[in-house]
Amino acid sequence: MVKTDTHIEEQIREIFSSDAPWVTIVWDDPVNLMTYVTYVLMELFGYPKAKAQELMMKVHTEGKAVVSTGSREEMEHDVARLHEYGLWATLQRGDQAI
Amino acid sequence: MKSEGFKRHGSNSYVAEFAENEREILINLTEQIIELLAERIDHGQEDPLAAMVGITSHDSPPEDEVLHRLLPNAYQDEVDSAEFRRYTESTLRSKKQAHAMAMRMYLKSAEDGTVDLEHDGANAWLGAINDMRLALGVRLNVQERTQDELELLAPDDPMRGVYIVYGWLGWLQEGLIEALMDES
Repeated sequence: MVKTDTHIEEQIREIFSSDAPWVTIVWDDPVNLMTYVTYVLMELFGYPKAKAQELMMKVHTEGKAVVSTGSREEMEHDVARLHEYGLWATLQRGDQAI
Repeated sequence: MKSEGFKRHGSNSYVAEFAENEREILINLTEQIIELLAERIDHGQEDPLAAMVGITSHDSPPEDEVLHRLLPNAYQDEVDSAEFRRYTESTLRSKKQAHAMAMRMYLKSAEDGTVDLEHDGANAWLGAINDMRLALGVRLNVQERTQDELELLAPDDPMRGVYIVYGWLGWLQEGLIEALMDES
Protein backbone atom coordinates (compact mmCIF):
# COMPACT_ATOMS: atom_id res chain seq x y z
CA MET A 1 0.00 0.00 0.00
CA VAL A 2 2.70 2.44 0.97
CA LYS A 3 4.44 1.78 -2.32
CA THR A 4 1.27 2.43 -4.31
CA ASP A 5 0.64 5.71 -2.48
CA THR A 6 4.11 6.90 -3.26
CA HIS A 7 3.57 6.02 -6.89
CA ILE A 8 0.31 7.98 -7.05
CA GLU A 9 1.92 10.94 -5.30
CA GLU A 10 4.68 10.91 -7.87
CA GLN A 11 2.20 10.83 -10.69
CA ILE A 12 0.22 13.71 -9.22
CA ARG A 13 3.39 15.72 -8.72
CA GLU A 14 4.32 15.09 -12.33
CA ILE A 15 0.92 16.21 -13.59
CA PHE A 16 1.11 19.51 -11.68
CA SER A 17 4.78 20.26 -12.11
CA SER A 18 5.62 22.90 -14.70
CA ASP A 19 8.15 20.70 -16.48
CA ALA A 20 5.74 17.80 -17.11
CA PRO A 21 6.22 16.84 -20.76
CA TRP A 22 4.10 18.25 -23.55
CA VAL A 23 3.80 16.77 -27.01
CA THR A 24 3.55 18.05 -30.58
CA ILE A 25 1.16 16.10 -32.78
CA VAL A 26 1.09 16.14 -36.58
CA TRP A 27 -2.30 15.28 -38.11
CA ASP A 28 -2.96 13.66 -41.47
CA ASP A 29 -3.82 16.02 -44.28
CA PRO A 30 -4.94 15.02 -47.80
CA VAL A 31 -2.88 17.80 -49.42
CA ASN A 32 0.61 17.42 -47.96
CA LEU A 33 2.76 14.99 -49.92
CA MET A 34 4.36 12.10 -48.03
CA THR A 35 7.83 13.11 -49.19
CA TYR A 36 7.15 16.70 -48.08
CA VAL A 37 6.10 15.65 -44.56
CA THR A 38 9.24 13.47 -44.32
CA TYR A 39 11.46 16.31 -45.55
CA VAL A 40 9.97 18.87 -43.13
CA LEU A 41 10.46 16.52 -40.15
CA MET A 42 14.10 15.98 -41.17
CA GLU A 43 14.72 19.66 -41.75
CA LEU A 44 13.00 21.08 -38.64
CA PHE A 45 13.90 18.43 -36.09
CA GLY A 46 17.12 17.08 -37.59
CA TYR A 47 15.67 13.56 -37.61
CA PRO A 48 17.42 10.94 -39.72
CA LYS A 49 15.51 9.95 -42.86
CA ALA A 50 14.41 6.58 -41.43
CA LYS A 51 12.87 8.14 -38.30
CA ALA A 52 11.18 10.93 -40.29
CA GLN A 53 9.71 8.34 -42.70
CA GLU A 54 8.46 6.20 -39.83
CA LEU A 55 6.69 9.19 -38.24
CA MET A 56 5.25 10.23 -41.62
CA MET A 57 3.87 6.70 -42.16
CA LYS A 58 2.31 6.79 -38.71
CA VAL A 59 0.59 10.09 -39.57
CA HIS A 60 -0.55 8.62 -42.86
CA THR A 61 -1.88 5.29 -41.56
CA GLU A 62 -3.06 6.24 -38.06
CA GLY A 63 -4.15 9.80 -38.77
CA LYS A 64 -1.70 11.36 -36.32
CA ALA A 65 1.68 10.98 -34.63
CA VAL A 66 3.61 12.57 -31.78
CA VAL A 67 6.63 14.12 -33.47
CA SER A 68 8.32 15.83 -30.50
CA THR A 69 8.20 15.98 -26.71
CA GLY A 70 9.37 18.68 -24.30
CA SER A 71 8.30 21.72 -22.32
CA ARG A 72 5.20 23.66 -23.29
CA GLU A 73 7.34 26.51 -24.63
CA GLU A 74 9.41 24.14 -26.75
CA MET A 75 6.28 22.51 -28.17
CA GLU A 76 4.75 25.91 -28.98
CA HIS A 77 7.92 26.70 -30.88
CA ASP A 78 7.74 23.37 -32.76
CA VAL A 79 4.06 23.86 -33.67
CA ALA A 80 4.77 27.38 -34.94
CA ARG A 81 7.58 26.06 -37.18
CA LEU A 82 5.39 23.22 -38.49
CA HIS A 83 2.62 25.73 -39.26
CA GLU A 84 5.14 27.87 -41.11
CA TYR A 85 5.68 24.91 -43.45
CA GLY A 86 1.98 24.08 -43.69
CA LEU A 87 1.85 20.89 -41.64
CA TRP A 88 -1.26 20.43 -39.54
CA ALA A 89 0.08 20.39 -35.96
CA THR A 90 -1.20 20.92 -32.42
CA LEU A 91 0.33 20.64 -28.96
CA GLN A 92 -1.06 19.30 -25.72
CA ARG A 93 -0.03 17.83 -22.37
CA GLY A 94 1.68 14.49 -22.77
CA ASP A 95 -0.69 12.78 -20.34
CA GLN A 96 -3.81 13.98 -22.15
CA ALA A 97 -5.65 11.53 -24.41
CA ILE A 98 -4.90 12.20 -28.08
CA MET B 1 3.53 22.26 -68.93
CA LYS B 2 7.06 21.98 -70.25
CA SER B 3 9.42 22.31 -67.30
CA GLU B 4 11.34 19.21 -66.30
CA GLY B 5 11.44 20.38 -62.71
CA PHE B 6 14.34 20.86 -60.35
CA LYS B 7 17.65 19.06 -60.72
CA ARG B 8 20.59 19.12 -58.36
CA HIS B 9 23.71 20.89 -59.63
CA GLY B 10 26.64 20.44 -57.30
CA SER B 11 26.42 20.62 -53.53
CA ASN B 12 24.07 23.56 -53.02
CA SER B 13 22.34 24.41 -56.26
CA TYR B 14 18.91 23.31 -57.46
CA VAL B 15 18.06 24.40 -60.97
CA ALA B 16 14.84 24.39 -63.00
CA GLU B 17 13.82 25.95 -66.26
CA PHE B 18 10.33 27.31 -66.70
CA ALA B 19 8.44 28.24 -69.84
CA GLU B 20 7.06 31.78 -69.84
CA ASN B 21 3.48 30.65 -69.10
CA GLU B 22 4.69 28.48 -66.21
CA ARG B 23 6.66 31.37 -64.78
CA GLU B 24 3.60 33.61 -65.08
CA ILE B 25 1.36 31.10 -63.32
CA LEU B 26 3.84 30.75 -60.46
CA ILE B 27 4.32 34.53 -60.09
CA ASN B 28 0.56 34.97 -60.09
CA LEU B 29 0.14 32.33 -57.37
CA THR B 30 2.83 33.89 -55.15
CA GLU B 31 1.03 37.23 -55.45
CA GLN B 32 -2.31 35.66 -54.56
CA ILE B 33 -0.85 34.10 -51.42
CA ILE B 34 0.78 37.41 -50.39
CA GLU B 35 -2.49 39.29 -50.94
CA LEU B 36 -4.62 36.68 -49.20
CA LEU B 37 -2.45 36.84 -46.08
CA ALA B 38 -2.50 40.65 -46.22
CA GLU B 39 -6.31 40.58 -46.11
CA ARG B 40 -6.05 39.37 -42.56
CA ILE B 41 -5.32 42.86 -41.28
CA ASP B 42 -5.25 43.62 -37.59
CA HIS B 43 -8.50 45.51 -37.19
CA GLY B 44 -8.76 47.75 -34.17
CA GLN B 45 -5.09 47.55 -33.40
CA GLU B 46 -4.79 50.64 -31.24
CA ASP B 47 -1.75 49.78 -29.22
CA PRO B 48 1.35 50.54 -31.33
CA LEU B 49 3.61 48.77 -28.83
CA ALA B 50 1.53 45.59 -29.08
CA ALA B 51 1.68 45.86 -32.87
CA MET B 52 5.44 46.31 -32.75
CA VAL B 53 6.02 43.13 -30.77
CA GLY B 54 3.62 41.21 -32.98
CA ILE B 55 0.55 40.91 -30.76
CA THR B 56 -2.54 40.90 -32.94
CA SER B 57 -6.14 41.69 -32.25
CA HIS B 58 -7.11 38.26 -33.55
CA ASP B 59 -7.97 35.57 -31.09
CA SER B 60 -10.39 33.62 -33.26
CA PRO B 61 -9.47 31.66 -36.39
CA PRO B 62 -10.10 33.25 -39.81
CA GLU B 63 -13.62 32.74 -41.16
CA ASP B 64 -12.28 32.22 -44.67
CA GLU B 65 -11.62 28.52 -45.09
CA VAL B 66 -8.36 28.99 -47.00
CA LEU B 67 -6.92 31.43 -44.46
CA HIS B 68 -8.02 29.10 -41.69
CA ARG B 69 -6.02 26.27 -43.26
CA LEU B 70 -2.97 28.50 -43.67
CA LEU B 71 -3.28 29.82 -40.11
CA PRO B 72 -4.59 26.82 -38.15
CA ASN B 73 -5.26 26.44 -34.43
CA ALA B 74 -2.29 25.32 -32.33
CA TYR B 75 -4.38 23.66 -29.64
CA GLN B 76 -7.49 21.52 -29.81
CA ASP B 77 -8.71 23.62 -26.90
CA GLU B 78 -10.34 26.87 -28.12
CA VAL B 79 -9.22 29.04 -25.19
CA ASP B 80 -5.56 27.98 -25.41
CA SER B 81 -5.72 28.36 -29.20
CA ALA B 82 -7.05 31.90 -28.97
CA GLU B 83 -4.29 32.92 -26.56
CA PHE B 84 -1.59 31.37 -28.74
CA ARG B 85 -3.02 33.01 -31.86
CA ARG B 86 -2.97 36.47 -30.30
CA TYR B 87 0.77 36.24 -29.74
CA THR B 88 1.91 34.30 -32.78
CA GLU B 89 -0.43 34.72 -35.76
CA SER B 90 1.13 37.89 -37.14
CA THR B 91 4.58 36.24 -37.07
CA LEU B 92 3.23 33.20 -38.89
CA ARG B 93 1.63 35.43 -41.53
CA SER B 94 4.91 37.32 -42.04
CA LYS B 95 6.87 34.09 -42.42
CA LYS B 96 4.45 32.71 -44.99
CA GLN B 97 4.50 36.00 -46.88
CA ALA B 98 8.31 35.95 -46.77
CA HIS B 99 8.34 32.48 -48.39
CA ALA B 100 6.02 33.65 -51.17
CA MET B 101 7.96 36.91 -51.63
CA ALA B 102 11.27 35.05 -51.91
CA MET B 103 9.78 32.71 -54.52
CA ARG B 104 8.33 35.68 -56.42
CA MET B 105 11.70 37.43 -56.41
CA TYR B 106 13.48 34.39 -57.85
CA LEU B 107 10.88 34.11 -60.60
CA LYS B 108 10.84 37.83 -61.39
CA SER B 109 14.59 37.91 -61.83
CA ALA B 110 14.62 34.71 -63.93
CA GLU B 111 13.88 36.44 -67.20
CA ASP B 112 15.28 33.56 -69.25
CA GLY B 113 13.18 31.14 -67.19
CA THR B 114 16.10 29.57 -65.31
CA VAL B 115 15.76 29.46 -61.53
CA ASP B 116 18.79 28.52 -59.45
CA LEU B 117 18.10 27.95 -55.74
CA GLU B 118 20.43 27.35 -52.83
CA HIS B 119 19.22 25.40 -49.78
CA ASP B 120 17.40 28.24 -47.95
CA GLY B 121 15.80 29.45 -51.16
CA ALA B 122 14.63 25.90 -51.86
CA ASN B 123 13.01 25.70 -48.42
CA ALA B 124 11.20 29.00 -49.04
CA TRP B 125 9.95 27.58 -52.35
CA LEU B 126 8.75 24.38 -50.70
CA GLY B 127 6.84 26.33 -48.04
CA ALA B 128 5.31 28.70 -50.60
CA ILE B 129 4.34 25.89 -53.01
CA ASN B 130 2.78 24.05 -50.09
CA ASP B 131 0.70 27.09 -49.12
CA MET B 132 -0.51 27.31 -52.73
CA ARG B 133 -1.45 23.62 -52.67
CA LEU B 134 -3.25 24.04 -49.34
CA ALA B 135 -5.19 27.01 -50.72
CA LEU B 136 -6.11 25.24 -53.99
CA GLY B 137 -6.87 22.06 -52.04
CA VAL B 138 -9.52 23.86 -49.99
CA ARG B 139 -11.10 25.24 -53.18
CA LEU B 140 -11.02 21.77 -54.76
CA ASN B 141 -12.45 20.27 -51.58
CA VAL B 142 -9.82 17.51 -51.53
CA GLN B 143 -10.90 16.75 -47.96
CA GLU B 144 -14.19 15.33 -49.25
CA ARG B 145 -13.50 14.33 -52.83
CA THR B 146 -11.59 11.26 -53.86
CA GLN B 147 -8.70 11.26 -56.31
CA ASP B 148 -10.93 9.54 -58.88
CA GLU B 149 -13.61 12.21 -58.61
CA LEU B 150 -10.99 14.90 -59.18
CA GLU B 151 -9.45 13.04 -62.13
CA LEU B 152 -12.88 12.81 -63.73
CA LEU B 153 -13.71 16.52 -63.62
CA ALA B 154 -15.25 17.51 -66.96
CA PRO B 155 -13.06 19.55 -69.35
CA ASP B 156 -15.47 22.49 -69.06
CA ASP B 157 -15.58 22.36 -65.26
CA PRO B 158 -13.84 25.51 -63.94
CA MET B 159 -12.27 23.34 -61.23
CA ARG B 160 -10.52 21.25 -63.89
CA GLY B 161 -7.85 23.92 -64.48
CA VAL B 162 -7.41 24.39 -60.73
CA TYR B 163 -6.86 20.65 -60.36
CA ILE B 164 -4.27 20.61 -63.13
CA VAL B 165 -2.30 23.42 -61.47
CA TYR B 166 -2.68 21.71 -58.07
CA GLY B 167 -1.26 18.48 -59.47
CA TRP B 168 1.54 20.28 -61.29
CA LEU B 169 2.57 22.10 -58.10
CA GLY B 170 2.71 18.76 -56.31
CA TRP B 171 4.93 17.36 -59.05
CA LEU B 172 7.21 20.42 -58.91
CA GLN B 173 7.43 20.21 -55.11
CA GLU B 174 8.18 16.49 -55.17
CA GLY B 175 10.98 16.98 -57.70
CA LEU B 176 12.58 19.72 -55.61
CA ILE B 177 12.44 17.50 -52.50
CA GLU B 178 14.03 14.62 -54.41
CA ALA B 179 16.81 16.96 -55.57
CA LEU B 180 17.34 18.15 -51.97
CA MET B 181 17.42 14.61 -50.60
CA ASP B 182 19.65 13.33 -53.39
CA GLU B 183 22.89 12.50 -51.59
CA SER B 184 24.76 11.22 -54.60
